[in-house]
Amino acid sequence: MAIDEKKTSAAETLRKTRSFGKVRCHNPSCMGRIQPAPGADHAKCPTCGMEYRLFWVNPTLPRIRGPVWDVNREIAKKTFAGKGGAATLKAESKGGK
Amino acid sequence: MALDRKIAFIDLTNGEIQIKPIPISMRKKYLGGRGLDAYLLYNYSKKGVDPLSPDNPLIVSGGILTATCASATARTHVMAKSPLTGLLGSTNMGGFFAPELAWAGFHHLVIKGKAEKPVYLYIHNGNIEIRDAGKLWGKTTTETQWAIREELGDDEIKSLVIGPAGENLVRFANVMTGIKNSGGRTGMGCVMGSKNLKAIAARGTMDIRIAHAQEAFEYNKRFIDQITSAKVNQTQGALGTPFIWGATNCWGGLRTRNFQFNQLEYADDIEPERLDEIATETVGPHHMTGCFACQVHCRGQYRIPSGPYAGKYDEGPEYTSQGAFGAEPGCTSAVTVLTGNHLVNQFGMDNLETGSMIAWAMELYEAGILTEKETDGLDLRFGNDEALLEMVERICYRKGWLGDTLADGGIPAAEKIGKNAFDYLIQVKGMNNLHSDERATPALALNVATSSRGSDHLRSRPAIDLYHLPEDVLRRIYSNPIPYKGPLSSEHTSYEGKPWMVYWQENCYMAVDCLGICKYHTTFLGATLPNFEDWPKVIYYNTGLEFTSEEIWTIAERCNMIERMFNLREGLARNDLKKGDTLNHRYFDEPCRRGAPDVIGLSIDRGKFNKMLDEFYEYKGLDKNGKPKPATLKRLGLENEPSRSL
Amino acid sequence: MEQSGKVLMINYEKCTGCRLCELVCSVKHDGISNPMRSRIKVMKWEAEGLYVPMSCQQCQDAPCMKGCPVKAISRNPELNRVEIDYDVCIGCRTCVSVCPFGAMSFNTIDRKVIKCDLCDGDPQCVRFCEVKAVEYVDAGDVSIKKKKAAAHRLSVASKEGAVLYAAQA
Repeated sequence: MAIDEKKTSAAETLRKTRSFGKVRCHNPSCMGRIQPAPGADHAKCPTCGMEYRLFWVNPTLPRIRGPVWDVNREIAKKTFAGKGGAATLKAESKGGK
Repeated sequence: MALDRKIAFIDLTNGEIQIKPIPISMRKKYLGGRGLDAYLLYNYSKKGVDPLSPDNPLIVSGGILTATCASATARTHVMAKSPLTGLLGSTNMGGFFAPELAWAGFHHLVIKGKAEKPVYLYIHNGNIEIRDAGKLWGKTTTETQWAIREELGDDEIKSLVIGPAGENLVRFANVMTGIKNSGGRTGMGCVMGSKNLKAIAARGTMDIRIAHAQEAFEYNKRFIDQITSAKVNQTQGALGTPFIWGATNCWGGLRTRNFQFNQLEYADDIEPERLDEIATETVGPHHMTGCFACQVHCRGQYRIPSGPYAGKYDEGPEYTSQGAFGAEPGCTSAVTVLTGNHLVNQFGMDNLETGSMIAWAMELYEAGILTEKETDGLDLRFGNDEALLEMVERICYRKGWLGDTLADGGIPAAEKIGKNAFDYLIQVKGMNNLHSDERATPALALNVATSSRGSDHLRSRPAIDLYHLPEDVLRRIYSNPIPYKGPLSSEHTSYEGKPWMVYWQENCYMAVDCLGICKYHTTFLGATLPNFEDWPKVIYYNTGLEFTSEEIWTIAERCNMIERMFNLREGLARNDLKKGDTLNHRYFDEPCRRGAPDVIGLSIDRGKFNKMLDEFYEYKGLDKNGKPKPATLKRLGLENEPSRSL
Repeated sequence: MEQSGKVLMINYEKCTGCRLCELVCSVKHDGISNPMRSRIKVMKWEAEGLYVPMSCQQCQDAPCMKGCPVKAISRNPELNRVEIDYDVCIGCRTCVSVCPFGAMSFNTIDRKVIKCDLCDGDPQCVRFCEVKAVEYVDAGDVSIKKKKAAAHRLSVASKEGAVLYAAQA
């Protein structure tokens, strides 16, 4: 059988490209790397200004829990208006009833 | 040997059982699992068969690697013609059933006919027995499983069961095993119910000899290290599949209120971190559990913290439940998500379809198309948690006009409701979508439009498209094993190169389903996970069969093509809104209104979408109408199907 | 020869119930996947999500050893394990019936009794268990680890108590 046991696959070599301790901005054209202070529960993207709440899976693995809603809503409103969207961004109650 | 597992043809009408070996030639063409299921369905069903008739074959299987010394070989696959879509019915679940079936001597079961009275199958070390299920009928999914164990006096029995929803022929009823492992999509539980088949119980202690045990053993360790070192799997192992919520709800990829919005604002109570806190409080710090031989352990455990079901133990919730009982009906309460999840698990009903159907009804109610007359007085507005949970029960037991109507699935319900109800139904091929909003992501939109079982994310979704990986990394992944020279884009809002990515993923997921391993062990959510290059080793060490990566790719193409042939035979047509490869008008006409700044204002461009579809067909070897070219069938060795050679 | 004092330490609360230990145990020993051949076995109460891996405790004063009518079972001090001499064993299964943990199993295919042999000092269940529900530690350390965990619980409880007291006061 022509199986080379030692040979590493592309997937295996890509392990080297993993970066720890950082998160990436969720704004599609930004996707800047944000390096939060260890254990921080908030981070602001230095490139595009989006603000996020953070969660730490383990001490080297932060993740974005969600946006800071009030900031997010302001940015969304402005962008929507700027893109010529309907002037009335349909207001939705803060969830629930 | 894994390869000496058998196939059984079971006729419930006359009780006849035929047990046959699976020839190596079939393994070389279809591997096993979903691929071989697709061959069996195409070959052993007649064109236009009524999905609820005795002639619709129900096929249950494990993959070629099931229960071998490979990682996460836990997946059970079930196939039949779908009573929900009238096209391919296909569903895949984790748990412990398929390995037990393999230790009991079988890889595939083909079940036809209809029993006179409720029955269940008991499969034990090469024997199959049809037993009376009179006492089991009416029981919930877990009650049924524990009752079977008690009746047969064996706690190690693993069963595949239906709940009340399957008995009541809800068109999107689950088949389930364990507490929450569900084959949810396309209504396979409904097919089981139509056959009066309440459960399939398996127990086995038959050897599966590993072809090259020492190598398989060490390679398995290397494979597992590769899996568990991925950040995505570490996150998943801590928070379960709900972890996806963080990113999707952040950038605006979450289908909210039946596709009106693409983000559920201020939903902190159903964020995965909050659900994790509840699990920690109610179960303890170690509340993650896993399927057979899997080190990702992505399944949560919890007890409902309050409300009418307080204290009930269940597993999950998955990302789909956050959508079904959160985003889609516009509810933001963790208790509602956890309760809804518990109800559908007990009833044996697809959470995803249930949530989508109710959200659709909610929009119809708010639009005045449904009134209190149809809802029997229920105030079915978005964000009404009690109404949501009440509807779950009404659908399962077909209570009231609306419960009975929704239980028939989207398209029949739209016809019954009338007016323009169909326009609001976010479906592809008659099946509702996961609560993901693909208006900003053309690759994902193409994936749901072309998925062989109707709108679905587990057939060809290039999820890593969302990670903005450097182009050279993308090219390394997507050029394996077939070199790809065309354009590629790291941008997930772009249309460049996406058809190839979708095509590649379609083959990747098919191969995984044929092997019987979990999609979290391949290029789905993580870019550094094993795929075509790694599989020849794991197959060879475990079974002794030799394949090259290219051969596995071709097998996947072949199996996907036979699924396509089945769908075409049953009426698939490219632009048919009900049976085609196209999307609800909202994808094209209503731009995203929320989420990250660069997502707002985006929708799918009809022209570009059609170009993507043309390109996708080209890769698959289909003509412009989506039908296979004769040369493609010849290349894949399918020109003589149906061949009925098993 | 140096004597090993190491034992398997099972922390069932960490167990995810995946049964990979059973798989690797049977493949390591027999080259076959079959949980019936596994020396370690996860006992489950699925309805409440409780999973407890069970294996041989390698007892000092092992009932199986005492009960064996042909003295086929003995203690190996180097590996700190109780082992079976298959040349002497008559397959009477007395050891199975006297083991208080059910850790002595009977392989119904090969018709012989089987038990954990600690993989000759490199237990594979430990090597594969990512959540560390099974660990291989010095016998003396087991109680230290448990003491520390209990001490932590106590300190948390006393802190919470203090907060409650302050709130009431």
